Amino acid sequence: MKTIRIGGGQGFWGDLNEAPVNIARNDDVSYIGCDYLAELTLSIMGRQRERNPQAGYARDFITMLNDLLPILKEKRIKVLTNAGGMNVKAAVEATKQAIKTAGLHLKVGYVVGDDVMDSILELKKQGIGMTNMDTGESIDPILPAIVNANVYYGAEPIIECLKGGADIVIVGRSTDSSLFLAPLAYEFGWKADDWDSLATGILCGHLLECGAQVSGGNYDYDWRSVPQPENIGYPIAEVSGPGELIITKTKNQGGLMTTQSVKEQLFYEIHNPEMYITPDVMADFSKCTLRQVGENRVFVQGVRGEKRPDTLKLCVGYTEGYRNTAYLPFSWPDALEKAQSAKETILKRLKMKGLCAEEIRTDFVGLNSLHGPLASDMKEELNEVVLRIAVKTKTKEEASKLSPEIAPFILNGPPASCFFGGRAKPEEVFALWPTLIPRDAIKLCAYVEEVK
Amino acid sequence: MKVFLKDIAHGRSGDKGDVSNICLYAREPKYFGAIKSQVTPDSVKKHFRGMVTGDIERYEIRQLDGFNFVMHHALDGGATRSLRLDTLGKTMAAALMRMEIELDAD
Repeated sequence: MKTIRIGGGQGFWGDLNEAPVNIARNDDVSYIGCDYLAELTLSIMGRQRERNPQAGYARDFITMLNDLLPILKEKRIKVLTNAGGMNVKAAVEATKQAIKTAGLHLKVGYVVGDDVMDSILELKKQGIGMTNMDTGESIDPILPAIVNANVYYGAEPIIECLKGGADIVIVGRSTDSSLFLAPLAYEFGWKADDWDSLATGILCGHLLECGAQVSGGNYDYDWRSVPQPENIGYPIAEVSGPGELIITKTKNQGGLMTTQSVKEQLFYEIHNPEMYITPDVMADFSKCTLRQVGENRVFVQGVRGEKRPDTLKLCVGYTEGYRNTAYLPFSWPDALEKAQSAKETILKRLKMKGLCAEEIRTDFVGLNSLHGPLASDMKEELNEVVLRIAVKTKTKEEASKLSPEIAPFILNGPPASCFFGGRAKPEEVFALWPTLIPRDAIKLCAYVEEVK
Repeated sequence: MKVFLKDIAHGRSGDKGDVSNICLYAREPKYFGAIKSQVTPDSVKKHFRGMVTGDIERYEIRQLDGFNFVMHHALDGGATRSLRLDTLGKTMAAALMRMEIELDAD
């Protein structure tokens, strides 16, 4: 029986950069999938590309690849990643350079076509309304503020790259899970309407795409029991066919794999468990069962799939003003009372400066900044508390008004406060416009290039 | 006997736009009934008063002794635009765990 082992090497842009290398070095896998994109990432990368035409992708991938390449060649491991972000071609060029520098001979596959920023008006002309799928609103008012527009696509073009012999596949906004479905569909020859099989690949991807969050990270069940968190082992799935898989973790590393750790990831960011909508298949995880079948080995069974949707999700990022956040700590005695007094004074100062804000929010870190109205009132006195003040404005200039207001408090405000990091800097606020478009409105192209 | 939900359940929260979902599992099968009867869409809505303004759906995953809660208008407009410290609602599951549950003494 053929079994394919795939590693989940990255949960987001900013995850432990050495993780894919640790998987490759310590264990035996045929593929490693590395997810770098969250909902907001593409808007940030879009802005980076505007400033520098060579930027706009996850540069950390290249840094990591320099260490990974020698092992890839030796162990014949293939890597799939959406590190291409908003600039797949620049990521491919950097990858080719890394391969040449390492003196290797490999094939690089890539997919373009998810970035439809330049064809928004054309799509509108074709009668594709792009109304907001959550609110039903018309897209027209945000058209001037658009930063990026990317379609979430599935495994098909990635499979094309693998068929072309690619050792490394770099894409932009594919779904996270299709990075894992693609190698399985390629290896087992799953057809594009073999829904139960495709759903198995999506389940595999869903469990691996957040890296160590399934193997002992963010482990609510019993975080104290996680071995070697400083060296946490990233997850590996073993798939032999449709409907089931085994999930384990990298050998000789920390972390764990239990039915509870898998449960916590299974419905992470999923709404209706019977209908996990992806471009490849409508996956149903609701009947999944879990069984511990060995140390750090969990058997997952019962995933089903149904016909994929006729539309694809298009996510439009647009700019929505600025945000600025500042922090000011206060010490015992009377820490909270001092922080509350400082808050009132800062709000008065901002009013005196004529701040025009859409929203102002204040929290007390150490008391209620996470659970807000649900936080319990502290009966005993706090040792220290941090005043947090955040403003949202239409312009950068307005948001900047908060920045110089904090430091003077150390001399002018209630006693015993100190600096918390540097001066606050306004940051651009991005909002997302989710909408659906017909599949045939999008043209995705897969390429494979030989590099030596 | 009153306990915190954290003592009998574990879970995780995540975000999609302004929607926060929390998957919640009984720490032992014997707690499933108490969770089912006391951690309902209504009681969760009441618990999150002042934080979650939209509807709440609950999906039961019986064979895993768990539930998935989907909470709309839960993240102050969503991760990208909110002024919350925890923009992604990573701590929403922990907030739910503050709920007090009545257990039969045994």
